Amino acid sequence: MSGRDVLGGLTCDEVREAAGSFVLGAPGATEDAAVRAHLADCSEPHPEIAELGGVLPALAESVPIVEPPAALKGRIMAAAAAELAARAEVVPAAAPTPFPSPQERHARRSRASAGSWILRIAAVLAIVALGGWNLLLQGQLSAAQVHQRDIAAVLDVAAKPGSLTAVLRSDGGSGSGLAAIDGSGAITIAMQDLVPTTGASVYEAWLIGSDGVPAPLGSFKVGSSGTAYFAAKDLPPPPGAVLALTLEPGPNAKTPTLPIISKGAATAAS
Amino acid sequence: MTDADRPLRLRTPSIADDEDRAVLARLAEGELDALEDLYDRYKTMAYSIAYRITNDATLAEDVVQDAFLGAWRNAARYIEGRGSVKTWLLSIVHHRAIDAIRRRRPTIELPEVDLPPPAALTAPDVWAEVAAGLDAETVQRALVGLSGVQREAIELAYFGGLTQQEIADRTAAPLGTVKSRMRLGLLAMRRSLEAGST
Repeated sequence: MSGRDVLGGLTCDEVREAAGSFVLGAPGATEDAAVRAHLADCSEPHPEIAELGGVLPALAESVPIVEPPAALKGRIMAAAAAELAARAEVVPAAAPTPFPSPQERHARRSRASAGSWILRIAAVLAIVALGGWNLLLQGQLSAAQVHQRDIAAVLDVAAKPGSLTAVLRSDGGSGSGLAAIDGSGAITIAMQDLVPTTGASVYEAWLIGSDGVPAPLGSFKVGSSGTAYFAAKDLPPPPGAVLALTLEPGPNAKTPTLPIISKGAATAAS
Repeated sequence: MTDADRPLRLRTPSIADDEDRAVLARLAEGELDALEDLYDRYKTMAYSIAYRITNDATLAEDVVQDAFLGAWRNAARYIEGRGSVKTWLLSIVHHRAIDAIRRRRPTIELPEVDLPPPAALTAPDVWAEVAAGLDAETVQRALVGLSGVQREAIELAYFGGLTQQEIADRTAAPLGTVKSRMRLGLLAMRRSLEAGST
């Protein structure tokens, strides 16, 4: 098309003239919509849009460097953990099944009469299987709800002035979670995806300060849900102290049994 | 050695981009660890852009949090052929920051900042990825090379979130002149950076 033809209320020449403002996000709603409408329908490629838009990443590089506050990471990770727990609670509703047409109902009756016993047996088996599946889903839902409450409890502690937070992550294995330590030294940890404990084995929580010596905080067991909530009290640690979990053969361990299952550094939360 | 003689410092794109894509794939799976990795990689650039635009530490923190959580939720929508993870993430930060400062002065009708970019803007442009790897000093030199009115128009739009009409009002220039300044200024920047990167 020629530069004088109009698409979206603008000619190609007008779009070329507006290209700089457009890629900078400055045209205002009406002209922005007009440029978009023109670009959507125009047979010409308008390379000037990509050509000028390609400068924007360079503009982003020109800003003076400012380091974010250390607490921001904890805030973002805590918000994501809370959202993840809430997401796990939502079970999608089944899609509605349309009511069958008369032809479909007739066909179904025909099929039923041909193999009604087979279908009845299959239906009984399906009901049994679905019952088991439903129980499994209920168990998963319940575990997610419990973990969400655990995360909420940790976030309550994290919200106190002077609190530290730590995102616990596994190194190649499973087991991740969130921990908070308030100004009095009260520690709360919410974990998920832990391997269930068996026999006398327990998970032991450790606090590793600047001296590098792990101090035991206490132990807890984990059931089939893989989730756990743990609370303890210790001296308030300095920022940078590491919270770690190990799997021990029994409670009251004095030194950690490697490997470390999950760990994270405590940083200022607010 | 003068500034003009100094060689351009470009990042090494392939290794960083591969690692970024691996992080984003984990992010799309909902892995919390991946969000932490992405944050550790780009927290400084993200916060610097947010702070430059908002000039408010608290608002900049909110913008960065919103942007990283947005990237975490929408990682599956990232389209590899349309640019690097870094460019994608920092454009989210920029949009969120502009949105935040525009909400403070909601007196003018503005386009939705979350509208998807038109295909013409997301067409593969290898040079845009080179631009994303230029260091701040190089870009500053290109900016300084513009005329004062071109630089002012670009900065008011990109960092100030002003519309072309607001820029025209503020600088007492006709609207058509403001559009030309932005177009010609960006074009001159591109030519300057291209000349320096070859």
